[in-house]
Formats: sequence, C-alpha cells, structure tokens
Amino acid sequence: MTNQTQTSQVDTPYCPNCLEHMPSTEAKLKKNRCSNCFDCPSCGHTMTTRATSQVVTNPDDPSKTTSKKVYYLACGFCRWTTRDVSITDKPQASGCWEALENPDSKRIFSLLETYQQLAQREKTEKERKKYVRRRSYLNYAASMDKYGLTSVAAKKKASVGSSMSTLKENEEAVIKTFSPSEAVVDFDPLTDDFFTKPVLLDKIASIGQRLASPEFQPEEAESLHPRHKHLLIRRSLRCKECEHNLSKPEFNPVSIKFKIQLIALLHVPEIRMFSPTELKHKKECKIVLSVCNPAGYNTTVSLLPVKEQDDYSNSKVELPKQEVTISSRDDAAIYDDGSQGQEVFKDDPSIVKFRRDNKIGLIIKVTPGILEGDIKVSFWLKHDYRNTAIALPSEGQDPQTLWLQHRVLLNIGPLRDAKG
Amino acid sequence: MEFQDQFYTNGEYIETASGNKVSRQSVLCGSQNIVINGKTIIMTDCVIRGDLANVRIGRHCVISRKAVIRPPFKKFSKGVAFFPLHIGDHVFIDEDSIVNAAQVGSYVHIGKNCVIGRRCVLKDCCAIADNTVLPPETVVPPFTVFSGSPGQFTAELPECTQDLMLDVTMNYYQHFKATAGVKEKKK
Repeated sequence: MTNQTQTSQVDTPYCPNCLEHMPSTEAKLKKNRCSNCFDCPSCGHTMTTRATSQVVTNPDDPSKTTSKKVYYLACGFCRWTTRDVSITDKPQASGCWEALENPDSKRIFSLLETYQQLAQREKTEKERKKYVRRRSYLNYAASMDKYGLTSVAAKKKASVGSSMSTLKENEEAVIKTFSPSEAVVDFDPLTDDFFTKPVLLDKIASIGQRLASPEFQPEEAESLHPRHKHLLIRRSLRCKECEHNLSKPEFNPVSIKFKIQLIALLHVPEIRMFSPTELKHKKECKIVLSVCNPAGYNTTVSLLPVKEQDDYSNSKVELPKQEVTISSRDDAAIYDDGSQGQEVFKDDPSIVKFRRDNKIGLIIKVTPGILEGDIKVSFWLKHDYRNTAIALPSEGQDPQTLWLQHRVLLNIGPLRDAKG
Repeated sequence: MEFQDQFYTNGEYIETASGNKVSRQSVLCGSQNIVINGKTIIMTDCVIRGDLANVRIGRHCVISRKAVIRPPFKKFSKGVAFFPLHIGDHVFIDEDSIVNAAQVGSYVHIGKNCVIGRRCVLKDCCAIADNTVLPPETVVPPFTVFSGSPGQFTAELPECTQDLMLDVTMNYYQHFKATAGVKEKKK
C-alpha cells in the first residue's frame, strides 16, 4: 500500500521512555513533550534521576547538622549532570524541574492572538454574506407577515448584530496593539575578544546541541538545560477511498496487538526467489519462484506478462501459461510432519517444481538481455481474493470473490555461473 | 529470496529434546540458571552468563556467533546486585552483539556489533540497527528502530513486524541443518 491510497491518523501520543500515553489534546497542551522525562542537552540520551544526601546545617543551631536527600539529573552516556551547569539540586525526585521560559513567548502569543482575530474576522464576514442573503428572505416574509415571525427574526438579528459589534471592538483592540516585526538593519561589530582570544571548544555548544533547543540555541556549554522528552505517536491507517480503518492499534503503547489489522501480508500471495541459479547472457535460464498463500482458502494464481510500456525490465521472461491452485494456510501444519489430509493436485512438472503446504515452486524462464548490471523482469500476479469478512456462512452466502492483480518487479541480480 | 540451507557438521551442535540447537563451542556459564524454551539456536562462540543471574530465552530465537548475553547489574550502597534477564520468543540477535538488557520482548531484532547497555528494556516488536550503542536504562518502545551512539529513535517499523519476525526466525530454524542428514539423503 502506498501513501496515495491511505491516510495515517494520530492515535495515541506517548512518551518513549516512561510509555505513558495521553489524549492528543493533552499532548498539544504539553507541546508534545513528556512532563516527567528529560533528554540530555549534550548527547540526547534520556536522563536519569540520581539521589544523594546533602549535609544541611540547622538554622536554629549551627553546630548541629542533618542530612537531607536531594536529587539531580544525570546522563548515563556522556556523564553530563545538572550540577555541571550549576542547576541546584531538587528536594523531590520529579515534578520540580521547571522548564526555561521562552524569551519570545510574549511576541509569539501576540502574533497568535492577532492571527486568530483575523481568522475570526474573515469568518464573520463570510457569515455576514450568508446572513445578507437570508435577510432578503426575511424582508420578503416581513412584507407579508402571515405567521408573526418577523418579531422573532428581528430579535435574532439584533442579538447577532450586537455580538458582532462587541467582537469587532475586541478584535480591533487586539489588532491595534499589535506591532509588526521590525527588520534588523545593522549589527554591532564583533568585539576584539572574538578575534584575539583562543577558542575553547569544550566550552562551546556544538551545532547539534544548539539546534536541539531551537528557542534558546545556547552558545556556551554553560547554558545547556535539560529538555523535556518528545512524545512519539501510535498511528492508525485509513483507506482514502472508502474511509475504512485498515489498522488500528490498541490504546496502550506497550501492546503489539491491534483492534483492526488488515495487512496485505495476510491476503496477497507472497513471491520470493527460491534459490540462486545460473544466469548466462542470451541463454534461457530456469528460475524457481516460491509463491506462498497466506489466506485461509485455496487461492488460484496466474502470472501474466506486462503488455503496456515497461521501463523496468531489461530481459525476456517466459511465464507459465496455466493457472495454479495453492492450498490454504494451515497454522497447525508446522506441528505435524506427515502429509496426511492434504489435497492432491495434479501439477505439470514443467511449471511446478515443488509443492509443500501452502507453498509452491513456480518455474519461470528468463533470458538475460544485458551483460552487466542486475537482470530485471516484471510481470503481473493475478489471484482470486475472497472477502470472507462480509459473507455469513450460516446464511448460506457465498463469499464475494474478486480477481486482484499486482505488478511484480523482480531483480534477479547479475549474471552468474553455476558455482558462483 | 528464500532462506538457503545452512549446514553445520553434526558434531558441532547439540540438539536437545525440545529442539534447541546449542553449539559445543559456546560458553554457557551456570547452565542450571539458563532456561531455553525450545527451537532456539545458540551459535559458536556465544557466551551466556547464567552464573550471574537467571537467563530465560523463549522459543525460536537465534543467538548468532560471538554474541554475549549477560544479566545486568545495579550498584547499590552495599555492593552490586544482578538481575535476571528475560528474552521473549522469535528474537534474532546478530553477530558480535553484547546484550546487558533487563528485558528483551518478543519479535525483536538486534543488529550486528551492538551494545545493549545495562538494564535496558526492549519491548516487543522493536529493532536495533547494526553498530548501535544503547546507553544503560534505555527503553525501546514497540514498532521503533533505534540506531546510533547513543542509540536514539530513528525509524518506525511496519504494523506487520510480528509476522515478519515469525517468518524469519522459523525459516532460519528450518534451514539450519546438520550435514550428516544431507549425506544420508544422497545415499
């Protein structure tokens, strides 16, 4: 499946470290970061909380000392700690590591507010247009006031108008206070220290470290600060055409089970090369493809040549002309070694190399057309597909059968001898 | 490409009643503390340190050559303590990797030449790329790929990871054969 036929949707945001999950609205409020877990600003690994005891002198009696438990954050990979940048130790293990305030947050808020107001204004203008159209109808109704509706409509109109006017005042106030950005005209010249003093690389943050926190971009290693960990998401997939759910994971991010899981691997026969074979230039070579039926019913498969423009293949391929039936997948088959109870198929040995459980070895003949590079061929795989999900066997309904086709691109690799 | 048969000389591996294939050249310390659930392959030059703590390995796992499985320890104020190591089913550990994790879930792929630090938790259906160093106490959530040093989230795995890992580990076991058996067939 490609992205053209399916859409992905955010299902549950979760923290990759503590695996706590939350609804998307809450994640949005937290800026898609976990409130309890931190990343090391130096190497990016998750920080761990360390506990130590600190000796505190009693304020009432300076001669007496008591020990107090304090906590700091440390990185287990690069050994960076919050003590390195003189962040004071905290009395609690979690919850008191406050984030730095973004220096531009005021500006960002005013921009956000202004644009919200502008969007609102646009919306009300659109609605006004609608309203104007409706009013013409109302005028018409008023002219022939049969149902005594005009008074109600007039009241409604008045209320809408008043709310509009208050909105307008508000919005104008916000838009007036908003000042547009000012372009920077010139910079202060660099100080002489910049040219004369040697660079201490161990005191300067690397580009990666700076860009990891885009709002601060600390230049010195001294001003690094632990960052809240980014959340990851579990996603569900939906078909663009019929809007059916294709895949929906369970809410718990630790679970690998799915509420809905419709994957091609369980429905479409899988084609693999069976073994490396001899490939000689301009000589017909037999190649065995193993075709595996993943479905719970016998599937009929045929390989068809590509009739349209084919930019992929560079060699001639001869495909088996008959259809072959592959028996259904049986999960219990791996536990018994006998071939009892298996259906017997009459196979043409020039086409079918072997047959084992739900797997079959199909022979195709390839004539390599190039001397160097990978030999590539392509063909169509056609198979029947039974939609067992919809049909009810108890009501005697036959499952709906469809014929599906998939384009198969096969890269056989370079020419090789029997031994190579 | 289908898996190709991989042969070993008959004396190189011991096959247990439950189908485990353990190399004679592997080092299993404290074998009374090692539980291997069946159909698992432990290759030549592997080291499993059961003498430190219990090691439990699930079904259909592959522990490739020169891999080291070592239970993690934690420092306390009064010395160190070792913790048991659990590995789930259908786990593939590639060559030269060192696993110090506390827990490795099922359907996990650990690449070549990796170091999995002390007390890491690898959840089900995750993967570690080749040459990754996971620092101690890293958590790897399901359907993620971690790579680099320090190992960080870099990619997602498809929804069908479980089926893919099942297929790989079961095929690997099926095609891991003794040469003696082949000779008999030829006769």
